Parts: sequence; structure tokens; C-alpha cells
Amino acid sequence: MKKEDTVKLISAEGFEFVIDKEAAMVSQTIRNMLTSPGSFAETEHGEVTFPEISTTILEKICQYFYWSLQYSRGKETDFHIEPELTLELMMAANYLHT
Amino acid sequence: METEKQKELVSLCIEAACESRESVEKWRRQRRSLEKLPSHLADSLLRHLRRRRLLFPSLLEVFKHNVETIDLRGENSVDGEWMAYLGAFHNLRSLNVADCHRVTSSALWALTGMTCLKDLDLSRCTKVTDTGISHLISISTLEKLFIPETGVTASGVSLLSSLKNLSVLDLGGLPVTDMALSSLQVLTKLQYLDLWGSKLTNKGAAVLQMFQELSFLNLAWTDVTKLPNLPSLECLNLSNCTIDSILEGNEDKAPLTKISLAGATFINETEAFLYLETSFLSFLDISNSSLNRFQFLPQMKALEHLDLSSSMIGDDTAELIACIGGNLRNLNLSKTRVSSAALEILARHLPNLETLSLSETLIDDVAISYISMMPSLKVIDLSNTDIKGFFQQVGAETDLILSLTALQSLNRLEKLNLEHTQVKDVALCPLSSFQELRHLSFRSSSLTDASMYYLSSVSKLTSLGIRDTVLTNSGLVFFKPPSTLKSLDLRGCWLLTEDALLVFCKSNPEIKVRHEFVSISPADQIGSNRPSPSRISSKASQANQKQERMALPESFVDQRLKYSIENLLGLQFSSLSVEMAHDRGETIHSMEKLGEVENVRPEEDAFVRRKVEEPLEVCLFRSMSEPSCVVNLDDGGEVEINVMASCGRPGMDRAESCVFDREREATDLLLHE
Repeated sequence: MKKEDTVKLISAEGFEFVIDKEAAMVSQTIRNMLTSPGSFAETEHGEVTFPEISTTILEKICQYFYWSLQYSRGKETDFHIEPELTLELMMAANYLHT
Repeated sequence: METEKQKELVSLCIEAACESRESVEKWRRQRRSLEKLPSHLADSLLRHLRRRRLLFPSLLEVFKHNVETIDLRGENSVDGEWMAYLGAFHNLRSLNVADCHRVTSSALWALTGMTCLKDLDLSRCTKVTDTGISHLISISTLEKLFIPETGVTASGVSLLSSLKNLSVLDLGGLPVTDMALSSLQVLTKLQYLDLWGSKLTNKGAAVLQMFQELSFLNLAWTDVTKLPNLPSLECLNLSNCTIDSILEGNEDKAPLTKISLAGATFINETEAFLYLETSFLSFLDISNSSLNRFQFLPQMKALEHLDLSSSMIGDDTAELIACIGGNLRNLNLSKTRVSSAALEILARHLPNLETLSLSETLIDDVAISYISMMPSLKVIDLSNTDIKGFFQQVGAETDLILSLTALQSLNRLEKLNLEHTQVKDVALCPLSSFQELRHLSFRSSSLTDASMYYLSSVSKLTSLGIRDTVLTNSGLVFFKPPSTLKSLDLRGCWLLTEDALLVFCKSNPEIKVRHEFVSISPADQIGSNRPSPSRISSKASQANQKQERMALPESFVDQRLKYSIENLLGLQFSSLSVEMAHDRGETIHSMEKLGEVENVRPEEDAFVRRKVEEPLEVCLFRSMSEPSCVVNLDDGGEVEINVMASCGRPGMDRAESCVFDREREATDLLLHE
């Protein structure tokens, strides 16, 4: 995997998730960060830090990105969400426009 | 399909959160997260919980910081306990408890002093009276208030004069007098005023001129005959009034866009529209009115919606409709004397007509070829006419020309109603090539299995009604429903057997079948009953409502006659009240200490609870909820309901009063005090 094709998402606790750019683009917010003109630190290094999102939630979000890609390609599986995570995940998803 | 593919994470989360009672328990203690929840997410989560029937009073507590909008319309369980929690929602801007029959005046006490509430809908909460209004007047932020068909009287209405920010006020069906209206003159911000069925006369109507910004006015079913000029008026409803003059005056003319004069009687017909500025008018309903002359129609060039049903319009006056021309989208000519000749006149003049109703007119198959010249048509109603589906041709009986073929040129046609017509199987052949047709309905004993063959190939059909036909089991077996079909109405097809229907339902689980043998699950029934019938402002229902309000004692008797003593006794002795019987007496005493409980009708509340458990009796409950309907139940019912109604009353700590979920616990608590 080439570095240009990946993005690094960093959680509040400092955990780093390296995922495909294509997957990360599922989020409208991340897409804007990575593609907006000008020299955002995010655009240059392919790194986005989320000081508000915990590791557990960010992991779930990465899972969702890949699930969403597969879903749009016709692989219709269920995306399971543990009820305990729903509130936090909902807020993160709202922030990420996904 | 695109939206189906793009499942958003937010909605997935909300679905997961509202999966079951257990999943709610998993997150309801996460207080910090709940406090941070943006209000639109909180609103949406609450909406889902309600839809999934997972909402109960104490769960409301977790939303008190961020919810801004709550819609609990028609929720039978909403009572004083719910209201006590809702009163603590300090960011609440809009609360809708329309048709919540257990909301009483005392329940509204919980709302006193709310600081953000702008919209409040109490429509048809029959137990809300003048006392309830006295609780509301402390909410000075109120801008929109809906209290139609409640127990409020003229003196309660007068109290509203202190809500200076009101811009929308719905007083429909209340006995508002001229005097009460004049006390509202101080409400200068009023833009919307609904006074249907009030006791207003011409004297009160003169007061309306004080509302400088009034743009919507409903005076249907009143004794007003002369309406003064109201320069800012846009929408006017004078249905079922006797009209002498409308907006008479030479000053600025009102920029009217909508007028409903359905069922109106005109004293002076020639002058009826004399003072009206009609060039902006887009909606006109003169159905059922006494008008004989329609010479005003050609001037109304902006008209989009015209309802002439049950009017005196006929072939000779159809020319006047044609003059309206290009803007007309929706035309209702049902129950008039128009025949195919009128359609011939209209055919080329209404290029943008989308909806056309010709039900119960004198048209025949010739009309169909004229209809096909209106290229924008989406909805056509031809029910109860002499349509046969083929042209009558003398001497050429072997070669029938199917009239419905003409409609193939209407490539936007979505809905076609052919109920109670003469169409036979063969005539349906052209339908199979209709590209956009989604809704189709028939009701005729001359249709057989053969029609199902033609209907199988209507590619986008989503709902199909073939009622009262002689469809047989084998017809159903060979029916290959279009893949888009969602609903199939087979009521009255008496040759079908239960087994055949079951097999069909099993092999087509995505289709909702209606038939006497197919039982709808109770949950569905509740759902479908939910949207209040009285919200549909049909003339008939308004007429009934008015009569009931005008003559309560009579309707009281009527309601009781509907149900036999045995029925009522059966309800009375259901398990619920028996449990409570032993501590009945003492509880009544403690209730008295708490003070009077205004206008609580315990009998009805008892019915409400039973309805929740036994959905089949929803209908019974609906009629029982009339304010005047009193049935003697034993005191057990009374006790438990009074307790519920007392939650949130003065003297009880709001938070503490709501810790209990069940009325049983509530009773115990009161006894210990």
C-alpha cells in the first residue's frame, strides 16, 4: 500500500489508524479536509487528529467506512452496533458527516 | 435506490439505540454523553423511541437538556406524569400533544413558567379546560397555540389576551363569543386565526379589523355573513356560512391566494366576488355551494386548484373553466352534471392539469379520448361513471376499440381510479403498457381472473385494488405481481379462500394484502388509526363535530346507545380494576387532601389503558373519549386515574412525583404521605 493512498486517523488517546483514503472519504468532513485547496496540515501529511473521538469509537468508525464501501458495491450485510456505543458513535458520525 | 445504498451511520446508530428495551437500558445511564448530544440528534432519537413504542415517562428525563421539539400526537398514554417530565425540558421550543386524551388541565400545570416554549399543540385534548389555560398564560414566549376542540370556553379564550407574542391561534370548535374575541384585540401580532364553529357574529367579525397582520382566517360554520375588509388577508375559509358580502370596502384589497367557500350559501350571488382581488388566487373551493353563475372564473388566471364538486357547473359553463388556462393543476368536477361534451371543451385548454376528478359525472368512454389530450395528467378519477372501456360502435361488434388505449399517451399518469365502472377484463389490456402507473383501483363484479393477467405486466405498479371482483383462487395462483407491488386490496373478492390467500401472502411477503380473511396485526391497526380522523378537515367531519359541540346532551345519549350495557360491563370487570379494589376508600381520602382534580374523567382513562393492551377496542375508546360520555365504572378505575392526574400538581415535588412508573406504586406513595 503506497503512502499516498492511505490516511492516518488519530484518536483522542493518540491511537493511530491507517486506512485507505477511499474508505476515509466516506466521511464528508474528512473528504473536505483532504481535498480542500490550500495547505492544511491534513492535506499535506495525510493525517487527521480527532481530539474529541475516543479510540473505541474511532475504531468503530473505521469499520463503518469499510462496511459502507462494501455496502455500496452491493454486499448487503448488517453493520452491528453495540447499544453502549450508540450515543458516542452518533455524535462522532454527526461530526464526520457520514 | 441511491438513498437505500447510502446507509448513514447516524441513522444506523439511532436504529441500534432503539432496537429494544434492553438496548435502551445500555445507554440511558450515559449521562455525560446524553448531555452533550446535539439537539437535532436528541430530537431524532426521541422520535424513533416513540415510533418503536419504547418511550415511557421516566426515560424522558434523560432528554431534558437538549431536546427542542417533541411530537407526541395521538399517544394515548401521555398523561400528567409525562407532562411533569416535559415541564423540566428547559430548551423545549415545540410541544405537540394533540389528540392525547389523557392530558388534563392539571397536567398542564407542569408547563407553567417554561422559558423557551414557542409552539404548543393541544388540539382535541378534550379534558383541557379554562383552568388549563390559566396555567399556560405564564408562558409568555408562546407564539403558536392550538387548542381546537378542547373543553375551553369563552372565558378561557379571554385569558389568552396576556400572551402578547401569539402569532398563530387556533380556537376551532370552541364557543368563542364576540365578547371573547374583542378581548383578544391586544394580540396585534396575530397572523393566523382559526375560529371555525365559534359563536361569532357580524359584530365580532368587525373586531377582526384590529388584527393588522392577519393573513389566515377561518370562520367556517359560523353565523358571520358580512366580513369587513382585511387588507393583509391571504387565506380565507368561509365554508358553510351564509354569505352576504366578503371583504367589502374600497381601501387596499387583500392579496388573497386561497379561498374556501365550500357549502356556502350566497345571499347576493352577483356581488359575491365583487370586492375580491382575485388575480393572485391560486386555490378556490366552491364545492357544494349555492353558486349558479361562474362568470368570475375567467379572471382567475393564477388559479391552480379548483374544486367545483357538487356544484351547479355543467357542460354549458365548462367554457369558463377553459378560460382559466395554463396554471390550473388540480380540477375536481365530481358529482356535477358535466358530460363528455364538457371534456371536449376543456381538452386543449388545460395543458398543465395534473389531477382530474370526474367521479359520479355523466361522462362515458368518449371523454377518455379528450382526457388523453391533457398531457400533464398524473391522477385521474373516473369512478362511479358509465365508462365501459371500449367505444360503442354500431354494427361493428366483433372489433372492439378499447378506449383506455388513448390514455397511453399520458406518460406521467401515476394513479387511475376505475372503481364502480363498467369495465370488463378485455378492456384492461391497454393498461399493461402504462409506464408510470403506480396506483390502480377497481371495484366491479364483472372483473375475473383474466384481468390479473393484464395487471401482472404494469411495470411500476405499487398499489392495486381489485375489490368486489369474482377473482378465484386459481387467478391468484397465476398472478405474477409486478416486483414493485407493495399493497394489494382484495376486499370483497368472496370467491377467494383463506388457504389460497395464505399461500399468496407467504410467497409474496413484501406485499400487504387486504381481505376479510387476512388479519392485520394489532400493532398495524393502532398505527393506522393514529393519525386523527378529525385532522382531516373534511366537511362531513366538521359538520359532525359542530353538531356535537352545539348540542352536547344529545350526542351524549347517542354515544351510549352505540354500546350495549353488556359491552360496557364486560370492560368494567376486566382484571385491571379488581386488583386495586382493596385500598380504594383510603386513596380517595388522600386524593381529597391533594385538592380537586379538575375535569378528570376516570372512566375514559380506564378505557385508554385497556385500549393499549387490547388494540381491537380502539374504536370503542375513540367514541368514549367524548367529553360528555360518562359510564359508571367502579371506583377502582377512578382511584388509579386520579393518582396519575395528580402527578405534577402543586405540592408535589416535580422530580420526585415522577420516580414511579406504575400507578400501583403511586397509590402506595400517596397512602404513606
